[in-house]
Amino acid sequence: MAGESKNISEAEEEKSAGRKKLEGWLNKTMRIRMTDGRTLVGVFLCTDKDKNVILGSCQEYLKLPESGEQEDPRVLGLAMVPGRHLVSIEVDQQPEIM
Amino acid sequence: MANAETSDADKVQPQGSTETVLYNWQDVTEEFMEAASELSLGELLHDSDFGLFEAMSAIEMMDPKMDAGMMCNQTKRKVLSFEQAIEAGTIKIQDIPLQDQIGIMDMTLSCLVTWLEGHSLAQTVFTNLYLHNPFILEDRFMKAFSLCMLKIVDLIRDRINRASVFEEEDFQPMTYGFKMAGDITDMRVTGMVKEAEEELSKTIRNTRSKSGEERAAVIAEEHELAVAVFSRLKFCRLLLTTLLAFTKEKCQGIPDADKYCNQMLELIPALKSTIQLGVQPDEKSADYPLIMGFEPLVNQRLLPPTFPRYTRIKTREETIQYLQELIHDFKAVCSVTECTTLHGAIDFFLEFSRKSPSVLSRSLVQLAYLNQSRRVFGTQLMQDVLREQIRNFIAPPALMLKSPILNNPQAKEHIDALLTHAVRPLCNVIQITGHNRARQRDKWGHLLEELATLQEEADRVDSALHGALIKVDPNRQHLACFGTWVLYHTLHVMIYYIQSGFELELYAPHEYHYIFWYLYEVLYNWLVSSLNRADTFLMEQDAIAEQQKGRNAKKNKKKKKGRQYAREVAIIQGTQALCGGFYKALVGFNIDGKLKQPEVEFDSEEVRYNHRFAPFGVVGTPPPVHYTQFKDMTDLRRFDHDPSAQEMYTAACKNFQQARICYESVSNPTEEINNLIKVSKTNMVVMNLLAGGHKKESKNPPGWDFSVHRNFPIIKVM
Repeated sequence: MAGESKNISEAEEEKSAGRKKLEGWLNKTMRIRMTDGRTLVGVFLCTDKDKNVILGSCQEYLKLPESGEQEDPRVLGLAMVPGRHLVSIEVDQQPEIM
Repeated sequence: MANAETSDADKVQPQGSTETVLYNWQDVTEEFMEAASELSLGELLHDSDFGLFEAMSAIEMMDPKMDAGMMCNQTKRKVLSFEQAIEAGTIKIQDIPLQDQIGIMDMTLSCLVTWLEGHSLAQTVFTNLYLHNPFILEDRFMKAFSLCMLKIVDLIRDRINRASVFEEEDFQPMTYGFKMAGDITDMRVTGMVKEAEEELSKTIRNTRSKSGEERAAVIAEEHELAVAVFSRLKFCRLLLTTLLAFTKEKCQGIPDADKYCNQMLELIPALKSTIQLGVQPDEKSADYPLIMGFEPLVNQRLLPPTFPRYTRIKTREETIQYLQELIHDFKAVCSVTECTTLHGAIDFFLEFSRKSPSVLSRSLVQLAYLNQSRRVFGTQLMQDVLREQIRNFIAPPALMLKSPILNNPQAKEHIDALLTHAVRPLCNVIQITGHNRARQRDKWGHLLEELATLQEEADRVDSALHGALIKVDPNRQHLACFGTWVLYHTLHVMIYYIQSGFELELYAPHEYHYIFWYLYEVLYNWLVSSLNRADTFLMEQDAIAEQQKGRNAKKNKKKKKGRQYAREVAIIQGTQALCGGFYKALVGFNIDGKLKQPEVEFDSEEVRYNHRFAPFGVVGTPPPVHYTQFKDMTDLRRFDHDPSAQEMYTAACKNFQQARICYESVSNPTEEINNLIKVSKTNMVVMNLLAGGHKKESKNPPGWDFSVHRNFPIIKVM
């Protein structure tokens, strides 16, 4: 009994840690690769259990960012990426501006 | 306008190239997946200022319907820009075979008319890669054609924008920053096309079959191809010159435009018969006909994210048909210059609109009649046109040459102010007819607000003028002169508003009775009396003019011109009787229980009634008839005994009969009047049958057939 309750509280602690992490990323710029090879850059606004991600002021790039080719992005605005189409997620870690 | 254009272009032009933000990316894929899986089902993690509503409005990536960008990845063929295609050798820029040229030209025309039907330039005309930069073309025919096409597109866009009688469903003005050959003059372009035509006509001459000689099949084919390209180039050049002629100031280009239209019409059969000579798109490419020089997806990334992926381009046969109709419309536009009076012009515009012409024709006719400084045909001031019109309509003493108050400065001031204020609403009447049919209704409703204000002012001016007039000449009066004129227009607008509801199929049959009642008892009644009043004034004025001339005036002059409004009054009385017939027929159907009524608990006739006539609330004259008044006036208990259905049918029959007689008295009946006669006659027969007890027991609702006339149906009893 005691062990069980301990497990739950641990799980809760863990949960809130996950949430905290996600919340910390909110309103940060994210770069998402999709299964079809396109890359989206936008502000992380929302997510759920199925990893569906909503990006604001989103821009779409056709080529891989590593290719180095200059490419004009297409403006999408508010876009939702279904979790099953996520390949990778990167967060922009801007150094704190003084 | 230039500003609006650039800002539009800015919106689509991808930003960001100027941004020099350096990102410091950190891969968090694993962390993210783990963290997100901790969320519970249905839980959304978001900031406090981001809610479900915002979440719902996001476009879904990788959803084929919402994600336009997906197409670029899905299509197997590589989407190449013009320059890339040249490099890859998939597109020719010199010595383009004539078969290809014919195909490209036809396809471009198809794109043009598809654009005119309200699609985006990026998905139509500019899927033609040659148009992206015709200057690098070395083929002279194709270069001349491409430049001519750009000029045409640019002119059309300019005309439509200027006339601004379009809505988003009619026309997409966005140009996405495409260059429209602005750095080269129209003269130069038509010159280039002409040169190309001359070169082709040499070929045509050289390959012509000479008598007694057998042409080789190759030469015969060459001849045919040259003729086909020649006709297309000439057609496009004529289209451009026609559009240029329409842009000339003061309608000076109209006679030329009419001439060019005839020339284009002569070319149509040649275009139609040579469609098959051009390269045809692969049958397999179902969504979009694909031939050399076209890339439907080349502009995909310029479009907003949720734009329709494909635009169905019209077929070549449909295109020629469309162009033929367009040119006939152009010819109708040319005849607008025959409208010498404002009322004549309004009738012309209403008639023009009835055929639902394309947005381009609608714009051209607007610009031909009223230029941007609101001068009729670019010359007459609208105020002067109105003054003339009112003088002819009701001959207000103050506007007549020998008016005793002609030189009264105050009276002049009043009149000038009134005319100035009348310009806007009357121009709006013309302008509203330029919009597409469905949009007109709302606009008529709003126009009533302006007309109501004008009506008030007209009444004030009338009484001021009356005061001034009776001081000079106590026997004359000036009451309700300008007022009657405004009322006349107000009533017409109210009638357009009501009638458009039939055309747009807004009314349910159980509503018909008060709609027809309102037309019958209120609007047409007022209209007849306003015309009678105008007539009285005209006759009075004639009498005075006669007196002033004295007895010296020629006596053998025709006694009286006959009432000026006889024709108009006959038509209006006919329509009034027609509406009366419908109303009574409907009452009869109601008594017989033939009309399906909505379930009482979900319905309130009063609410519907108020809604249907809501825009009339702002109008002072005629005062709106409220629902309770309507109920009182139509209460069957006002009759001595409850009328039977048969009696109502008999009354309706009489009304239809009366309508027919009125219409038939009109000399030189128009098609419209002939249709109305047909409706009255048929309904008369139907009513006669019903009055005789035909289908008395049947509870089947009557049918309403609007195929003969858009507003007045033929009643069918089942």
